[in-house]
Amino acid sequence: MNNKTGNPLRRRFLRELRGEFGKYAVIFVLLVLTIGLISGFLVADGSMIIAYRESFEKYNIEDGNFRTDEEISKSNRRDIEDLGITLYDNYYIEKGSDRENTLRIFRDREQVNLLCLMEGQAPQNPGEMVLDRMYADNNGIAVGDSVRFGLEKYKVTGLVAFPDYSALFRDNNDAMFDAVRFGVAAVGKEDFDKFPSDELVYNYSWKYNTPPASTEEEKELSDQLMEDIAEEIYLEDFLPRYLNQAIQFTGEDMGGDRAMMLILLYIMIVIIAFVFVITISDTIARESAVIGTLRASGYTKTELVRHYMVLPLMVTLAAALAGNILGYTYLKQVCADMYYGSYSLPTYVTVWNAEAFVLTTVVPFLIMVAATFLTLRHRLSLSPLQFLRRELRRRGRSRAFRLSPRIPFSARFGLRIFFQNMGSYVILFVGVLFANLLLLFGLALPAVLDRYQESMQDNMLCRYQYFLKIPAYRMDRDYELEKIVSSAFLRLSAATSNEDAEAFSSYTLRIPEGEALRTENIQVYGIKKNSRYIHAEIGRGEIYISSAYADKCRIRAGDTIRLKEPYENKCYEFTVDGIYDYMGGLCMFMRNEDLTETFGLFDDYTSGYFSDSEITDISRDLVASIIDYDALIKISRQLDVSMGGMMIIVDGFSVILFMVLLYLLSKMIIEKNAQPISMTKILGYSNAEISRLYVVTTSVVTLLILAVTIPMENIIMKFIFMNYLAARMSGWITYDIPDAIFYKMFLIGAATYFVVAVFEMRKIHSIPMSDALKDVV
Amino acid sequence: MLLEMKDIRKSFGKGDSHVEVLRGISLSVKKGEFCVLLGPSGSGKSTLLNIIGGIDTADSGEIYIGGERMNMMKEKQLTRYRREHLGYIFQMYNLIPNLTVRENIEVGAYLGKNPLNVEEILHTLGLYEHRDKLPNQLSGGQQQRTSIGRAIVKNPDILLCDEPTGALDYNTSREILRLIERISLKYRTTIIMVTHNEAIGAMADTVIRLRDGRIRDRVENAVRLSAEQLEW
Repeated sequence: MNNKTGNPLRRRFLRELRGEFGKYAVIFVLLVLTIGLISGFLVADGSMIIAYRESFEKYNIEDGNFRTDEEISKSNRRDIEDLGITLYDNYYIEKGSDRENTLRIFRDREQVNLLCLMEGQAPQNPGEMVLDRMYADNNGIAVGDSVRFGLEKYKVTGLVAFPDYSALFRDNNDAMFDAVRFGVAAVGKEDFDKFPSDELVYNYSWKYNTPPASTEEEKELSDQLMEDIAEEIYLEDFLPRYLNQAIQFTGEDMGGDRAMMLILLYIMIVIIAFVFVITISDTIARESAVIGTLRASGYTKTELVRHYMVLPLMVTLAAALAGNILGYTYLKQVCADMYYGSYSLPTYVTVWNAEAFVLTTVVPFLIMVAATFLTLRHRLSLSPLQFLRRELRRRGRSRAFRLSPRIPFSARFGLRIFFQNMGSYVILFVGVLFANLLLLFGLALPAVLDRYQESMQDNMLCRYQYFLKIPAYRMDRDYELEKIVSSAFLRLSAATSNEDAEAFSSYTLRIPEGEALRTENIQVYGIKKNSRYIHAEIGRGEIYISSAYADKCRIRAGDTIRLKEPYENKCYEFTVDGIYDYMGGLCMFMRNEDLTETFGLFDDYTSGYFSDSEITDISRDLVASIIDYDALIKISRQLDVSMGGMMIIVDGFSVILFMVLLYLLSKMIIEKNAQPISMTKILGYSNAEISRLYVVTTSVVTLLILAVTIPMENIIMKFIFMNYLAARMSGWITYDIPDAIFYKMFLIGAATYFVVAVFEMRKIHSIPMSDALKDVV
Repeated sequence: MLLEMKDIRKSFGKGDSHVEVLRGISLSVKKGEFCVLLGPSGSGKSTLLNIIGGIDTADSGEIYIGGERMNMMKEKQLTRYRREHLGYIFQMYNLIPNLTVRENIEVGAYLGKNPLNVEEILHTLGLYEHRDKLPNQLSGGQQQRTSIGRAIVKNPDILLCDEPTGALDYNTSREILRLIERISLKYRTTIIMVTHNEAIGAMADTVIRLRDGRIRDRVENAVRLSAEQLEW
């Protein structure tokens, strides 16, 4: 009779799982959340990136647009189209709604930048409009509601996505879009034709007849095109697609988010792998004699490696499966909603993303396999005899180093526990560092935005900056006569009697590519001597830059900076004489005379006014933009709207991560000491005394780790924040967080640990005295 | 001869802490023989048993098992040798805590090419009623009986016992010895047992006394006492 049985060790798995349910449950939950969140994100992100990329063709997105101050003639149009492009009228008007928001209203599109209808229907009748879906969401407008502009009223028949406004930038030079205060809408032809022509903005979209093959070619083509068009007509603005933030920002941001989430995933996986390594090592130490016996009985090393690998990998696999299910269902929707909360994206179809599956499931699983396999192979390479004798150290027996008897017993005891569990504490250090980094991110961003908003109130150049409409050509040297005429016209028509008003000149330059992490516009202000608003003694020939510019590009007084014309290759070099404390924008200050001289403008050239009171005697038609408090805090308002929800998730996740790590590691420390704890009970120590001996060490270490890591996290976060902002956003927000955030972090950490300490104490209480007498294992 | 050892030497440590544990041991054990290695602590008997079991290596000398030279074997071959030929019983039972008695015995059965019937073993060892209990629900004697079951179920050629009664009281020790005797008679298993209990030697075919790493004497018992007759 063959009495051969299957490997009975397999029957341990479920029992081991039941016996260590707490440990495996938290690892499982952590993995499910991590894998679920990232896979959900990657699927949503991937599907949306596909939808976003496809939208270029599907909705026939323009290759660029330019603006003129009047409708171009047929012959100009012909000449321009002869340059190898097709032009499409994309006129709009801007109206202030009764919510004090601005709506840019287009005619329903038929050829380029076609609208993606997401809900309802296109305007069929006069008095109907479709509205950008995100703007509508942010302002609580639904299909069927009405939008008022003074006496005019439009019924919203549908919610749409404008493919050329996936990020609702009103002005391409804005640091950030503002989907609360600015939206886009479309009305039927009949309504649009009724708009007064003097309110129309003559915006033209173009498509290349032969699309450029690469971005480089697109840049060259658009540079040439701008010069050629400028010879034909007066350009107010010229914006090729690759520079259009309203089109490009979304794609860039989604790509950046993806990279960040993958980094988060792998940091988490490495931490969880470390936890596995520690738990495996702990199991090996606990089962040392059993392993020795099994090896002495003839079990091979491979069989045991396989045996001890199964459970961690089963947990990983089950978590990956559950994480993927959760990710593909609920969390995908959460992530998609977050994107829909930030961007006006067209409808997307969930695309099963093999890459997401590989990155969130296959790769982490392989990392776990490698980590567990290598650990086990290493740990199980000792001889059976060493296991039987519990000699698990390779470098001989560990020696207790001497601790002075003058140190109180309890402190010496604590130190011994500390040194015994150094490995666990190192993991705890790494885990706390990372968990708190997440927490800091979650807490710091809203704080930074609040701080920014607060500081802006005291840090504005003035309460209102009025920028007058100055067509691009009027600055050009080739148009001397127009310059004289229009300058005189502006001076006369845009004159103000407001006593607070102080005229300034301005000029826009651009950071050349490669000079900084991001190329963006620099506003050059030409100011009067003894300006009321710029409180710096700027002498002739001197250059000051704003502190925002200095911080972002790390420029100091004495440095030389290079800037270029936005639409030409002409470059200028300036030596910085001082930093002016102004965080509202990246700008440069010089004397008015220097500005006009440097850029070849007239001596009395005026671009706008600084004023502490509203200027009411200039026609709004002559005002290009007003920079007031609302405009300055646009960047922080939008970040708040688009990332506020995510910050709460990040905070919650970091607290869970922190708690799980503490729970696992302190549990292991107590289990490792189960027999001594049991023995101390036999000796007559009370549970409270034992808890003090064993819990206090971990408590002290945890609080020390918290105290040490918080400043480190602050440095890391500052670095990430500065580089992230510098590379991803126009404009600048200083990383300035109140100390209260650090105290809050410490308290959250301590409170979280307190919860874990209660579990620890309960665990200590539950260790029976008989453990000390056991010879079972 | 099933086992032959020639001039086995083993030492531990270096310099001042250098200790010669085995100083030229030569012995042979026949198939089915019950051999007891006796000696005080530090005499080298456990080291010798570990070398026979292939879980420790000799510094010099030759060991042959069934004519095959053991100390030329690589690690994998040694594992296979242990798997196919040896059963081990330790002073500490080293049972797997989350496997039942039956399953702990099956851990041994899994290794054998032609294992014995687990049910029969359970009956033989008087553990049938306890077969579904976990080790922590058993007495010391029951745990040791389980570890014996685990060792013999794979039907090994040699059963190595390292102080199997060292952690047990008098009555339980006698009970375990009775069991080992029964196994020796029933399965004709070669048994090599390490003990410091002189009385146990009387139940063996051969008693080898060690002192300071040398064989002090080797006695062939003309008459083996039964475990029942032992007293100490």
